[in-house]
Amino acid sequence: MNITKIALRNICRNWHRTLVTTLAMGFAGLIMILFASLMQGMLQASERNAVTMDLGDMQVHAKGFRDDPDLYNRIKQPEALVEKIEQAGFHAAPRLYSFGLAASGSASSGVQMRGLDILAEQEVTQIHRHLMAGAWLDNIDPNGVVIGKRLAKTLGIQVGGELIFVGQSADGSIANELYHVRGILKSVGDNTDRAGLFMVESAFRDLFVLPEGSHEIAVMRTDRSKNLEKAKEKIVAMAEGYEVLDWRQLRPVVARILDLADTQLIIMIVITYIAVAMLVLNAMLMGVFERIREFGIMKAIGVKPFQLIIMIYVETLIQTMLASLIALAFGVGGATHLQQNGIDLSDMMSGASFGGVAIDPIWRAQLTVESVLTPILFLFIMSMISVLYPAIKAAMIQPMNAIHFQ
Amino acid sequence: MPNHTIVQIEHVTKTYLQGKVEVHAVKDLTLEIPNGDFSALCGPSGSGKTTVLNMIGGLDIPTQGKVVLEGHDLSTLSRAALSTLRRDRIGFVFQAYNLIPVMTAYENAEFVLKLQGVNNREIQDRVMKILKEVGLEALAHRRPDEMSGGQQQRVAITRAIATHPAIVLADEPTANVDSQTAESLLDLMQELNEEEGVTFLFSTHDPRVMDRARRLIRLHDGQLEKDEVRD
Repeated sequence: MNITKIALRNICRNWHRTLVTTLAMGFAGLIMILFASLMQGMLQASERNAVTMDLGDMQVHAKGFRDDPDLYNRIKQPEALVEKIEQAGFHAAPRLYSFGLAASGSASSGVQMRGLDILAEQEVTQIHRHLMAGAWLDNIDPNGVVIGKRLAKTLGIQVGGELIFVGQSADGSIANELYHVRGILKSVGDNTDRAGLFMVESAFRDLFVLPEGSHEIAVMRTDRSKNLEKAKEKIVAMAEGYEVLDWRQLRPVVARILDLADTQLIIMIVITYIAVAMLVLNAMLMGVFERIREFGIMKAIGVKPFQLIIMIYVETLIQTMLASLIALAFGVGGATHLQQNGIDLSDMMSGASFGGVAIDPIWRAQLTVESVLTPILFLFIMSMISVLYPAIKAAMIQPMNAIHFQ
Repeated sequence: MPNHTIVQIEHVTKTYLQGKVEVHAVKDLTLEIPNGDFSALCGPSGSGKTTVLNMIGGLDIPTQGKVVLEGHDLSTLSRAALSTLRRDRIGFVFQAYNLIPVMTAYENAEFVLKLQGVNNREIQDRVMKILKEVGLEALAHRRPDEMSGGQQQRVAITRAIATHPAIVLADEPTANVDSQTAESLLDLMQELNEEEGVTFLFSTHDPRVMDRARRLIRLHDGQLEKDEVRD
């Protein structure tokens, strides 16, 4: 009769206790899988909103532009640099920026105008797919603009509505034009939501009398799994005389939060599992005290201390495996449901952001190998740690005292 | 040491502390148990019978003196070595049967043989043969709680002798069974002694066991009172 068989029978002996312990362990595992998946979902959505909706992996600017976004401080001959960057295996999109006032009816608001090369932009970001209503920019409709959701609210405007822009052109004249709203974006980030007004590059250049140059070149790696630092070094070498910053430098708060996410997850897991460990410790200690006499007999007939430790560990291992199956079945099932349907927090979190990056009001889980395996791995580690004391206690039992234990 | 001696007890004293009071369970005891013996340690409660048995079985160590089992001074052996010695050379039969409750009769006996590393075929042959001898062949797959006290004690005897031990130490083996069962258990152990040559050492104050023993070692207050060999 092998140790696994004995362990199996032992855990079936007091099945009420086994059931409660296993269910508690399984429930903790399930909660942690859901929590980890929701965290992953939130973080990936945040990174997506920051990088693939707005920043790109890196940005090239004329020196000083970020501190003082002056219409005249531009990247000279951006076409040549974009071509160079693309030849090096990256996607690149030139952008133009300016500021002014938009008005619709009696409402008005300060806006940040962005002129985009829409073909290049859709290689770099996914913002063209992030529309709440209407359609994305089109070169055949130069007077059609796309605006942020909060700006639309401020101006009280909807798709098809008209707005007037007033600003200053590069030649000192008044930049003034009537536009119609083609589309309204979903939440991207504070700035874009509140003041973002997107138009095609040609319309921007006409409005601001800006025939050449760009304010920004957004760059995206073709393979995002490749090292960002090394990619940046390549762009820095190509964009001599300009400032190159990666998205982590552009959104340091978001980068730090994402960096800390794994640590936060592990802290949460450890806190939750400490409670589980107490339960396992208590259950196994009760199991050991109930069986002191039996362990004494086993030792008397020649079972070695380490064999008793192995037996108790196998009992816990079986329970942890059962708990893991419960956690996997319900956790993965629940996380898949939350990945597809999400939790609608629109009432509470509409327009919420952190580090300037929008938080999606539909909080979706993201099921990854990591979000499943980390909670399961920690469940095993904590169970194995918590059973150490009962196992050693069983192993150290003096057979003579144990046999006469009442 | 002569070849036929299995156990040598040399000037063994065992002292316990009961609170702050020293209790001398065994005082300067010297004994030899030869191979094939069928002996009984007897005497009133507290005379030191079980303590002597525990020391021979390596479950307890003497305060003074030494216990030698098949040439091994038990006080010099490590815990692991004592476990191995108990597993391979000593069979235990306890008053309260002390079977492992989650195992069947067969598995209780099989368990020790598995620990010894005996192969499955050999285990099956050996265990089933003994279970047949003790009249439990039909109950091989019952668990202890499905058997009577006498049947459980038979399983304990099966477990004790299945490993071919040098000696079987039986602590009050008839204390918890009725007279008829006690007689049948004694018949069985006597038969194993006479036919298989298994050495038995009992601790008892049951007259039925004493009647059957070929040697009576009487203890009183931890000291040897009388060592009587009978024909």
